[in-house]
Amino acid sequence: MSTHENATDDTTDFGFERVKTEEKAGRVREVFDSVAARYDLMNDLMSGGLHRLWKRFTIELSAVRPGQTVLDIAGGTGDLAAKFSKLVGKDGSVILADINSSMLSVGRDRLIDKGALNNISVVQADAQYLPFEDSSIDCITIAFGLRNVTDKAKALASMNRVLKPGGRLLVLEFSKPVSPLLSKIYDTYSFSALPAMGKIITNDSDSYRYLAESIRKHPDQQTLLEMVEDAGFVDCRYHNMTGGIVAVHRGIKG
Amino acid sequence: MQHDPAVIAGVCLVAETAIMRAVDLSTGTRNELQGLHPLTIAISCSSPEIDLYISTDAEGAISVASYREGAATVTLEGSWKDFVGIASAEDPASALINGNIKISGDTVPLMQLQSVMADLDVDWEAPLAETLGPVVGHQLATVIRAITRTSRTTHQRLKRQLSEFILEEGRLSPPKAEQNAFFSAVDDLVLRVDRADSRLKRIKKRLTALNGLSE
Repeated sequence: MSTHENATDDTTDFGFERVKTEEKAGRVREVFDSVAARYDLMNDLMSGGLHRLWKRFTIELSAVRPGQTVLDIAGGTGDLAAKFSKLVGKDGSVILADINSSMLSVGRDRLIDKGALNNISVVQADAQYLPFEDSSIDCITIAFGLRNVTDKAKALASMNRVLKPGGRLLVLEFSKPVSPLLSKIYDTYSFSALPAMGKIITNDSDSYRYLAESIRKHPDQQTLLEMVEDAGFVDCRYHNMTGGIVAVHRGIKG
Repeated sequence: MQHDPAVIAGVCLVAETAIMRAVDLSTGTRNELQGLHPLTIAISCSSPEIDLYISTDAEGAISVASYREGAATVTLEGSWKDFVGIASAEDPASALINGNIKISGDTVPLMQLQSVMADLDVDWEAPLAETLGPVVGHQLATVIRAITRTSRTTHQRLKRQLSEFILEEGRLSPPKAEQNAFFSAVDDLVLRVDRADSRLKRIKKRLTALNGLSE
């Protein structure tokens, strides 16, 4: 296990709580089962629509071309998959993967409504044990999903395995604000306003408290960069967005 | 200075949405844009330091991005002021060629794109009719059209009258013909002064020579 990982032999973080390693996936599933139906609405409200811009920049960084195969892990409601579907065209394919069936179900319905399922397959999969052949994917994205994975190092290694040589990994995730003032404002916002909004919109403040806590427990920019490098990726770098509230890490399979 | 990618992504999103809204309301423009595919224009702005990429796709859509890999069809490099100058020029094509912007790559598709965008014929009555219904939408469009026409005519008339006032009534600035006559008189005077100066020099030279002989 990586030294960066917060899991010990039999316990790991679940927000600020310590839970048994084998319990985390189930607890995370409960959170997303609860928020799945209104996940996109909550994302818009929580981020003031900024998550669309963060994802847009991530898609630009992917440099995906027609004919390629893209795997969107923790793809949830399928917003990235829909965009990739257009970019890869009819000769390419997009795999929308998520460990949570409720999120996938919402995602699949949305994609059907958009008429975007032609080149998209929907797969329920755990990021730590990706059920794909070695060196079969051109680009992997995981947006706001890595912090919920029990063993991040294992998940990154699994992503490295399925990527083609030269393939690209993009991890979009909450990170650490670079300014102390912004950090203070952000803390107040996420521990007060976020659960309150969760209570109003999804009648579930606990899930949104977990989201805020899990963001704080997630590795900062530099630590995650080292984790990506440790997983075997080369030419790794990250871009801070919105003052470091969010960062997108990029790594290339060597 | 490093700009926040989310901010630039927002600018790109707004620009792309506005362009595509206009394109979709202009009949035939998508077909023309399809004909330009594949086209990527890289705009490299030095101050502030921003890179933008405008591309067309096979469906005739235009995308605006802040990051792109691969070679661009044409690259434009300059400062923000240079680009604003082109955007606000009456003849952007001529301003682009004669301005400070460094152009590299194939400029033909760039000119074709400029021509397509200049020929945009936006049917903005369509979204009004879609939202408000055909009767109210059309009535409102007629009113807006009349207001726009009146404003444009008033603007042109004011511009002309202001120019006439400055030149004719107020005599605040001389007319062009008067300016030209003045400049030509100044040029003539300069020539005469030059001639007089060379004559004086010649006379001075002769006098010096005569003085030398008499001594």
